[in-house]
Amino acid sequence: MLEPDRFDYSPIFDRPAIKWPNNARVALWVSPNMEHYEYLPPKADWRNQWPRTPHPDVSGYAHKDYGNRVAFWRMLEVMDAHKIRCTVSLNEAVLEHFPDITKAMVKRDYDYMSHGIYNTRFLNKLTLDEERAFYKDCIDTLKKHTGKQLKGMLTPAISPTEATPDLMAEAGLIYHADWFHDDQPFPLKVKSGRLISMPYAIDINDGTYNRFGCTPEYWYQSLKNQFDIVYEEGAESGRTICLSLHPYIIAAPSRIKYLDAILDYILSHAGVWNTTGDEIAQYYMDNYHDMMVKHLKSKKSPVAERAA
Amino acid sequence: MPAERKPGLDNPYFDWSPIATRPKLTWPGNARVALFLVLSVEHWQWKLPPEGYKSPELPGGVSGAGRPFPDVITYSMREYGHRVGIFRLMKLLDKYGFKATVAIDSSIAGNYPYLINECKKRGYEFIAHGVAVNQMVSAKMSESEEREHLKTSIDTVAKATGSKPLGWLGAEYGESERTNAILAEMGIKYNLDWPNDDQPYAMKAPKGEMYSLPLSMDLDDTFNHWYKRVHYDIYTQMIKDSFDVLYREGEKSGRVLGINLHPWLSGQPFRYKLLDEALGYIAGREGVWSATGSEIMEWHKKQTKR
Repeated sequence: MLEPDRFDYSPIFDRPAIKWPNNARVALWVSPNMEHYEYLPPKADWRNQWPRTPHPDVSGYAHKDYGNRVAFWRMLEVMDAHKIRCTVSLNEAVLEHFPDITKAMVKRDYDYMSHGIYNTRFLNKLTLDEERAFYKDCIDTLKKHTGKQLKGMLTPAISPTEATPDLMAEAGLIYHADWFHDDQPFPLKVKSGRLISMPYAIDINDGTYNRFGCTPEYWYQSLKNQFDIVYEEGAESGRTICLSLHPYIIAAPSRIKYLDAILDYILSHAGVWNTTGDEIAQYYMDNYHDMMVKHLKSKKSPVAERAA
Repeated sequence: MPAERKPGLDNPYFDWSPIATRPKLTWPGNARVALFLVLSVEHWQWKLPPEGYKSPELPGGVSGAGRPFPDVITYSMREYGHRVGIFRLMKLLDKYGFKATVAIDSSIAGNYPYLINECKKRGYEFIAHGVAVNQMVSAKMSESEEREHLKTSIDTVAKATGSKPLGWLGAEYGESERTNAILAEMGIKYNLDWPNDDQPYAMKAPKGEMYSLPLSMDLDDTFNHWYKRVHYDIYTQMIKDSFDVLYREGEKSGRVLGINLHPWLSGQPFRYKLLDEALGYIAGREGVWSATGSEIMEWHKKQTKR
């Protein structure tokens, strides 16, 4: 058995079919990252949060702030026009620093996947108890400001520990978005409770495109290609597509029209479930988690073949 | 040893041979181009053993090297290839009737019988591909460590597939000064680590025999999709253009178009259409021989010994 043994092997084309509500082929969730990078972050062991200069880096800091002061509001217009209820990947301190943003998100009944407290504080060095306290903070802070129960998490800057899935499940979370191994949710093995992986997007993340100098139009074309294939495959068994976004990137004046265009394109198809990460995860938990676990233990699954 | 200033190369494994001076190479059915598709199936080891060497530029993950343990991003991106990506590529190859040569490391070979079976059903050839993608063969290994690594790789593939692999591709094209000789001694007959030709050539080995087969560095999907982030429509054009040139040259003497594809990258939905277009372009032409590594090597051997 290969480490870390967090999930069983299961080829996507040879597992029980997933049917989304109303027989949708593709579940769409739109996940803008609402982040705050501290002006003077504490020193981290592995990542210099502002690597360009001794801290502060006012240009980097201000560019991120542009996302919250300007781009977020521009993005809202597009989301509203397409009736998108976002799944905000949220640095939860945003709720405390920027009440206007909190109010705008609450008014729209957005869902939230925690992305830690700040994007400049990481999990990887936390002890078990510190990490437990971190989940409690995330759950309580979200509840206090939005009234919502936290269901999922993309760890801050993706910095989990080996224990992260166990501790998330223990804290009552149901989905973990750090795993990029599939185009469907999938059960993770945890010490207690139940947890699934949710296919967030890394390769077609706007951040990846921005970092490598791709044109805005190329991002649009990539998302379109991505959608076409999962839509085709979704006729057999439901797929997910995640638009993972950063307002300071995708809602810049040079890019915003492509966000509008991709939402136009995806939503022009019948059989798209316009939903949130929380709802996809809950639906999978209610209808498919146990069935999939049972399948993985059955003779029909490739896992059983390995054991034989 | 530093090079001596005299004609020829400064390594012991092959003679220098410019392609323009060689006898004509003819492929079966007078094909002009042998299409040699390699699928690299690679495990990213969760914990690197202390003695392991990992290329600092290993593709996968976010923001390059230096992520803290555990690097779930890189680990899970690789896993995508085994669960999802490779099946898309198989579908594409099925569509065009193309064969593949599967470079599989011992971690995957020993733990993913379902994958092996799907490849077997299609008549793909398996070749040894190290232990895990983040354990590269290098001069950092002692001879005994290296022998153990190569033996594990070869024996695991033999056991998992039911036949001894005849080919080798090092994880991240890694070799020490010893690798080629040890591989030949262990019964490997062709090596894909040397991207220096458009035709196969015989290598020298103290014990056993060895051939080098062409695998284009220029068209390796990790170089394009990962290191250079070439727009995939340009990558598609590069494959078509490469084919056209080799096809033209192949009229005079056979050529190999060797493409190394990684399912975790090329099997992503957004890249699929463009790869489909590139392979469709090749499939539409007369005079293309889709072949596995062993088939190319055996044919070349017969030709050159005649």
